[in-house]
Amino acid sequence: MRILKSLVIGAVALSAASAVSAQDTLRVGMECTYAPFNYRTADGELAGYDVDVANGVAEIMGVELEFVCQQWDGMIPALLANKFDLIVASMSITDARLEKIDFSGPYRDSVGRLIAANGRDLGLFDEAGDPIAASFDGLRVGLERASTYENWFNAKLPGAEIVLYDGSEPLYLDLANGRVDMIMTNPMKAQERFLDGDAGADFEFVSPAISEVEFFGVGVGIGLRQGQEELRDELSAAIRELVDNGSLTEYALKIFPFPIHNPEWGNN
Amino acid sequence: MNFDLTLIWDSVPRMLAGIGITFQLMALSAFLGMILAVILLLMRLSGKWYWSWPAQVFIYVFRGTPILVQIFIIYYGLPQLDFVRESILWPILREPFGCAIVALSLNTGAYVSEILRGGVLGVDRGFLEAASALGLKAHQKFIYITTPIAARLALPAYSNDFISLMKATSLASTITLMDMTGWRRLLRPTRYLFH
Repeated sequence: MRILKSLVIGAVALSAASAVSAQDTLRVGMECTYAPFNYRTADGELAGYDVDVANGVAEIMGVELEFVCQQWDGMIPALLANKFDLIVASMSITDARLEKIDFSGPYRDSVGRLIAANGRDLGLFDEAGDPIAASFDGLRVGLERASTYENWFNAKLPGAEIVLYDGSEPLYLDLANGRVDMIMTNPMKAQERFLDGDAGADFEFVSPAISEVEFFGVGVGIGLRQGQEELRDELSAAIRELVDNGSLTEYALKIFPFPIHNPEWGNN
Repeated sequence: MNFDLTLIWDSVPRMLAGIGITFQLMALSAFLGMILAVILLLMRLSGKWYWSWPAQVFIYVFRGTPILVQIFIIYYGLPQLDFVRESILWPILREPFGCAIVALSLNTGAYVSEILRGGVLGVDRGFLEAASALGLKAHQKFIYITTPIAARLALPAYSNDFISLMKATSLASTITLMDMTGWRRLLRPTRYLFH
């Protein structure tokens, strides 16, 4: 009986604590391994575009952040299970995800591109930049599990043989090892982490940037649990401010030679 | 989090799509692992250090490291060596199924050989002395006396290892194989529900 009592007291104390801390500390879920967007530097510090955006938003909203590392395919379940309050992990805003969670306005473009060994003329796209389905038949394509790319392939190119991976680093490895013919992934990340390196020297982009809103959404946003309209609007307003005051451009230029957001996302 | 029974009911047949791969992994690696285990056992029992030491090192390494690490080293690590990709083994190691079989067989082989050795060492000296008295030669003693008794002694421990092997096949989903766990991992994020 005493045990039960202390459990109840503990539970009450916990829920009271979380109600208070929700005011000034927000827990942010991210992979922590998705360079250059969210990753750990050599000294173990979290860095990257997502981290900069999260810190920028927190500064405007006047809240503290606590970062939580979570594997990609469990990101939304973990948010729903209250392991953290926000997802700032390069997650695209899609209709399927909006059924389970809510998103702020976008803070980054959402695109995908195909990478294959250079010098292979596969004849994959017509002049308008649309994929030619027949050319993909029987090709082995590596994708990240539970990504927008997977949905795009399933809908557009069912003839391709899809191989699913747990992260982007194994994708690059298996492309280099010759287990898959091509991969579809985030071009900004792939340029920085793979194509610019030694292993990527024999590979190149073989598609235009693919960003159909139907599959890739309007962009990458901050995810949160549904029913928190006030928090969502605050996040969106903070992001618009980051667009307007040039912070997003500054964050992007640390890594890439170009901004990776749409200037029309601001207030002006 | 709501507990959705219909979701479970709907998911079971879809997960069964992977049961074929799961059983193939289990049966093939149990078979190959057993062959390897017997070879390792004979090496250890040979009494010659140049046979026994390599077997001991192999068993030590494969029992001493996690099976997940072994799978990753075989799948992601080996192909980074150019000569592996040019070798005759590449057609096997190129496929995730081949890599999973190799890893599971090597792992279970190391464990089973120790189980079998325990069985062999458990054979009562009296039986062997009786066999000697009857004039049986060393290989006859091993085949007719040691093997049946050792097999009976090793069976309970082996059945445990067989169950462990079946569970270990789920790790094949980490190298893109669509076994039962692979299907489960495909279903989960599409529903965004269970953790």
